[in-house]
Amino acid sequence: MPPPPLLQRAALQRGAALALWSLVLLRSSVDGRLDLLLRAIYHPLVALAGVLLFGLALLQLGLALRDATAARERAQRRQTLTLLVTTAIALALLGLPPAPSFADLAGQRPRDDTAASELSFVLPPAQRSLTDWVRLLRSQPDPLLFEGDPVRISGFVLPVTGEAPQLARLLVRCCLADAAPVGLPVRWPAGATPQADQWLQLDGVMAVETGSGGRRLVVRPRSIRPIPRPARPLEP
Amino acid sequence: MTPARLATAWALFQGLLIEALPFLLIGVLISAAARWWAPGGRWLRRLPSQPLLGPLSGAALGFALPACECGNVPVARQMLVGGAPLGSALGFLFAAPVLNPIVLASTWAAFPDQPWLLLARPLGAVVVAVGLALLLRLIPEAELLQPDLLAERRLHQPLEEVNLLERRGGVLGTQDRRPLTRPSLAELMRHGGREFLELALLLVLGCVLASLVQSFVPRSWLLAVGGAPTLSILALMLLALVVSVCSSVDAFLALSFAAQVTPGALLAFLLLGPVIDLKLVGLLNLLFRPRGLLLTTAGAGLLVLLIGQWINLWRL
Repeated sequence: MPPPPLLQRAALQRGAALALWSLVLLRSSVDGRLDLLLRAIYHPLVALAGVLLFGLALLQLGLALRDATAARERAQRRQTLTLLVTTAIALALLGLPPAPSFADLAGQRPRDDTAASELSFVLPPAQRSLTDWVRLLRSQPDPLLFEGDPVRISGFVLPVTGEAPQLARLLVRCCLADAAPVGLPVRWPAGATPQADQWLQLDGVMAVETGSGGRRLVVRPRSIRPIPRPARPLEP
Repeated sequence: MTPARLATAWALFQGLLIEALPFLLIGVLISAAARWWAPGGRWLRRLPSQPLLGPLSGAALGFALPACECGNVPVARQMLVGGAPLGSALGFLFAAPVLNPIVLASTWAAFPDQPWLLLARPLGAVVVAVGLALLLRLIPEAELLQPDLLAERRLHQPLEEVNLLERRGGVLGTQDRRPLTRPSLAELMRHGGREFLELALLLVLGCVLASLVQSFVPRSWLLAVGGAPTLSILALMLLALVVSVCSSVDAFLALSFAAQVTPGALLAFLLLGPVIDLKLVGLLNLLFRPRGLLLTTAGAGLLVLLIGQWINLWRL
């Protein structure tokens, strides 16, 4: 049986599809989109899988051109359909990078309620991140302990029903699917109109305010500076 | 449905998929290595086939092949194709995602102050795997497994176990005398490439489903039942189905809501997710016919609910 025309060879099509999927993983590793999707500890695994898949794709393509058995393999209808659909999805992944709304995601998730495993007392207050502050307050809930401490934190604006917007971060253990928000209440100055999802850096002090739920700590900003989204927004 | 919600759903889909693809590739590579190392799967057929020993031996293989549930599906498929006893393959499929060093270490890292959980999780996984293997043995293989998988499996099963009408090829006689030749590189590549793409497609379907449900059903609804003994177990089982994270990290996710739920519910979350979730449905569809998939889901749900209830009676 003579080998089918080049474009109809199943091994060649499969090699091309595998190459496309390796491109998805490799491009995700270099263009920064992984920073929006996965915790940094998993990034090398994705890159390694991309390299491995690329090697397999090259091997498959080489065999499709040189090996007589592979060259004679024709694609069956089901395989062609699988190839077409997976190729379309890989192209969509390459063409449409993720652009999640952190505020929208955080609004649907319960708050992270883990306390600090390593308490941040050792850090000077101005060096504590937003996550450090939230966990510290959970471990030491007396707000008077921290009144007047200097604060320098960054995060995105998270609208809260019935309250002023908070400054928040998403905590991720593995990927965006398990993200849980942590947030700090802010006493916004008159005239400030923080927009949902906007990234801000606040410099100010911790203040105690008394509300219906008792005393709580709020950030009283002295300066509010819009900042671009950090390169790794899912890291604490 | 706002544009922000759609964009978030797309990102969730990408997160789930890209996180799972490396594990899927690991599973396909292990499966290809097994085909090359033991052509014909003769060692697989030596695994015990007794109702209890079979699933236990399969579960123990999890220590040797540490992968999460996505990677386990191609390996379990290879076991079934190679003629491994059904109980062993099912024991591996259902218990190995928990009974492996990575998952046990992550559970310990997440809950160092709850030693009971470190014991209860692997024990519970074994109970669920044995229970499901016993349950699925009640269905004839022809009604349980997908036809193409069954056809390949029949070729590797000894003739004394399979009648000639069930076997489409092979040789006559009581012994399988086909020469055991290692598959060529081209054959390995063809099989592995096809398997990866087929599984990737099914994984995509599962991730689409999981990301849509996650985007449009607020998680707080599921956690609202908190301390109610039975409701909290059911809610956390539903959450495990929806959230679809790998077994290697689910303990860290559970840590974020552990204080709000009952101990039984916490364990139920850690037991059910590795067996069945929305992301896995597509992959398991490669192994089981709809009836088998339905029975797996119902059986796993019932067993995990009972274990969770028992834990709540003990711990509350």
